[in-house]
Amino acid sequence: MKRLIAATILGFILLITPFLGECAFRLPAPEKIVLKNGLTLYYLKNADYPLISFQMFVRGAGFAFEPGAVEGIAGLTAELMQKGTAKMDADALAEAVDFMGASLEISASGENATVSAGSLSEHFPKLMEIAADCLINPSFKEDEFAKERSKRIDNIKAVKDNPDSAVRPYFFKAYFGAHPMGHLASGTESSLKKMTVADIKDFYKKYYRPERAIAGVVGNIDKAKLLEILEATLGKWNNPGPAAPLSTVPALPKPKGRKLILVDKPDASQAYWILGAPGYPIGDKITPQAAVMNTLFGGRFTSWLNTELRIKRGLTYGVDSNFQTWSVGGLFLANSYTKNDSIGEMLDIVLDLLRKARKDGFTAEEVESSRNYLQGQFPQRLETNAGKARTYAMLAFYNLGFDYYDKYLARVQAVSPSDIQDAAVKLLPETDFVLVVVGKAAEIRKQLEKYGTWTVKKITDPDF
Amino acid sequence: MHKKLVIFTAALLICTVLLSAAFRKEDIKVHKLDNGLKILLYEDRNIPQVALYTFFRVGSRNERPGLTGVSHFIEHLMFSGTKKIGPGEFDRKMEFSGGANNAFTGDDMTGYTDWFPPATLEAMIEIEADRMQGLIFDPQVFESERNVIASERRMGVENDNDSILSENVRATAIMAHPYHWDVIGWMSDILSWRRDEVMAYYRTFYSPNNAVLVLVGDFEAAEALDLIKKYYDGIPAGPPPPAVLTVEPPQMGPKQVFIRKEAQTPSFYMVYHAPNCQSPDFYPLSILDMVLLNGESSRLYKRLVRDEQLALNVYGGIYETIDPMLFTIYAKPRPGVDLNRLEAVIEEELGKIKKEGITEKEFQKAQNMIRSGFYFGLQSNAGKAQQLGGAEVLYGSYEKLFSQMDNYASVKREQVQEAAKKYLSENYKTVGKLIPEGGVQ
Repeated sequence: MKRLIAATILGFILLITPFLGECAFRLPAPEKIVLKNGLTLYYLKNADYPLISFQMFVRGAGFAFEPGAVEGIAGLTAELMQKGTAKMDADALAEAVDFMGASLEISASGENATVSAGSLSEHFPKLMEIAADCLINPSFKEDEFAKERSKRIDNIKAVKDNPDSAVRPYFFKAYFGAHPMGHLASGTESSLKKMTVADIKDFYKKYYRPERAIAGVVGNIDKAKLLEILEATLGKWNNPGPAAPLSTVPALPKPKGRKLILVDKPDASQAYWILGAPGYPIGDKITPQAAVMNTLFGGRFTSWLNTELRIKRGLTYGVDSNFQTWSVGGLFLANSYTKNDSIGEMLDIVLDLLRKARKDGFTAEEVESSRNYLQGQFPQRLETNAGKARTYAMLAFYNLGFDYYDKYLARVQAVSPSDIQDAAVKLLPETDFVLVVVGKAAEIRKQLEKYGTWTVKKITDPDF
Repeated sequence: MHKKLVIFTAALLICTVLLSAAFRKEDIKVHKLDNGLKILLYEDRNIPQVALYTFFRVGSRNERPGLTGVSHFIEHLMFSGTKKIGPGEFDRKMEFSGGANNAFTGDDMTGYTDWFPPATLEAMIEIEADRMQGLIFDPQVFESERNVIASERRMGVENDNDSILSENVRATAIMAHPYHWDVIGWMSDILSWRRDEVMAYYRTFYSPNNAVLVLVGDFEAAEALDLIKKYYDGIPAGPPPPAVLTVEPPQMGPKQVFIRKEAQTPSFYMVYHAPNCQSPDFYPLSILDMVLLNGESSRLYKRLVRDEQLALNVYGGIYETIDPMLFTIYAKPRPGVDLNRLEAVIEEELGKIKKEGITEKEFQKAQNMIRSGFYFGLQSNAGKAQQLGGAEVLYGSYEKLFSQMDNYASVKREQVQEAAKKYLSENYKTVGKLIPEGGVQ
């Protein structure tokens, strides 16, 4: 492949990129449905294919709300909700979903859990029945808990065998320390070992509530039929009593100076790194400038990072920068890899480019190109039923309004080179950042010394 | 790489009964230029964008020792400048116009995938046509891009134990046919490709008569065809590229590969020789693939991951290829697991299917998965373009896409058992085991 497509741009990692232009392509306004139990859905009919997609966010059921000692409990709870209910055991659930050729996945991320489901229209009633059963009646059996926990512990070793997959959890631990936004959805060896099934039941009881759930439903189904299905399924999800208010997620940490972590993986022939610094919260007014700026810096093939590191010098196959955004704040992230003897050369160039963007900004032509690019590529985001459903759920979850992308157009089109440089000065780090490298210390350590003092870890040590 | 193509295309006829609106054979406009370029056009105004896909009938299957990986290298060099536009200009023009692109290389074909706003259609067709024969292979870019590929190989193979093992198993199972090597090629070849040889390879395979152009999206077909004629008519046809003549000799007994290297987890990979995608046996084996390996209710997932907890994951199956390739079973063993035991359990499960076949419920499940997967894959311009072009290259015509469902519907459940007996035989097996050394277990 020419390049890998980052699989990171989902509900929580949004490059918010408006498009109107000559074609006036807009997100169609959905119909709002509120069930008696408080669950809110946004619905759009699309009769083009015999398919329906469903995306639901459950506020609070993510790892940012985990008690400190049980990191990974949000992820494990989500997984176990599909591993047995009062009516069906894990095998019966898997069989029922697979038999329809449908998909159903419950997973946890920072501020919420997500329920993703999709099927042929004819199977949708049954799929919703199963999804509701998982949400309402999970059995959390001891043997399933033991199985999934042990699988997760072993999987951490598999993650560490590949430096490309290992660098991310190491970075998040280095950046966030004990802050819950740095919790790993997969947990760590030590946190998983401490967890009990009673903890899982408590977490479920506290955070899975219909009035905190917001969903998008898009596909070939009439509203009356949908309402009938919802009443019979998710409508039966009762509030377990008054909710305690969600705790406030503490402000995200801001690194001071350089925090440098080297993870020694003696068999690595390439060094993998992530550099991170504070970003901005979702919906922030800097979003359009940030999107235009990052597109130029590291967000597309002709970006500065890719031009200097890959196209001109052949140092790497892949390099990327992006913003990750949550309610409480966000991150700027850049990452790449190169053969062991080039890591110093590569990092020098990255730091130079960060300085150059802050100091010189971008040309008017570059800014125009970035605006065109963001506008031209935007429609793909809403091309499928799942894309629209996810967008409805996300916009409602963050209370951004369904005209959010429309309103941004004027702002993207209006940004000037000086706005973009302002965004670079504000968001690209110069002195304060976290840098994590996974590689063969014996071959790369000398090259790294010039950046400061490194904390060295061994990849075979437990946890991250 | 294109494993799922057939699977996604499978349920077409049933689905067109259910829904008349979308994607019928009659709606595809087809044209062939005098120079042999085949053109497929499908108007779809769901979003204001056009997908322009160019497929060349060339992949690692057409390579030879010393030049392994060169098809993929040319894919990279296709962005490196022509007589008309300088290095990097292709991407700069496209992105400035609001377009984006990518490309892929497989065993059998190479594809160039562009997505752009409708107003830029002519400019995009112009630069796509320009690079079909206009590459200059700038020596400096050539060397730089060689290093990019070396980095890609380090990322995709050398720092990924599962990939190291699968490359070894493939090269052991397939002895003579060029499927012997991975698309990325051997590292020593990557480091020593010669410019003149790479250019000769490009001239051999990059001709209009060896290509298919697919447009899906928001455009007027007649207008698009005029533009294509304007820019492609002048490109001369080339001689037909040489055929791949090597036929893999039959395997006459099981083979094994062991790798010992630093790791915390083992790897396990087991393959059997499988038919090509135009074989009638491909369809029952695709159904077997679903039953054995797809979803948590599949036989191998349930037994290895759920019941016996020997593996963290399991996947694999049959691939759509021009020549016979492999039916693969990949399991990620849990640390410390006895790999002989893992192999024995898989054998036992395959034995059950050979002895008793699959159940009616499993058969229906596989058909449902195929049908659902097809429609979910079909929602985007990109999905449609990929399927049309893939069918043209792998099956000889895009029209075959629209009869795939007949092929699945006509499979009898017993044929799955027969195909399992015929292909999943001990004598056709190669098994690979990566055994951790050094790393903590």
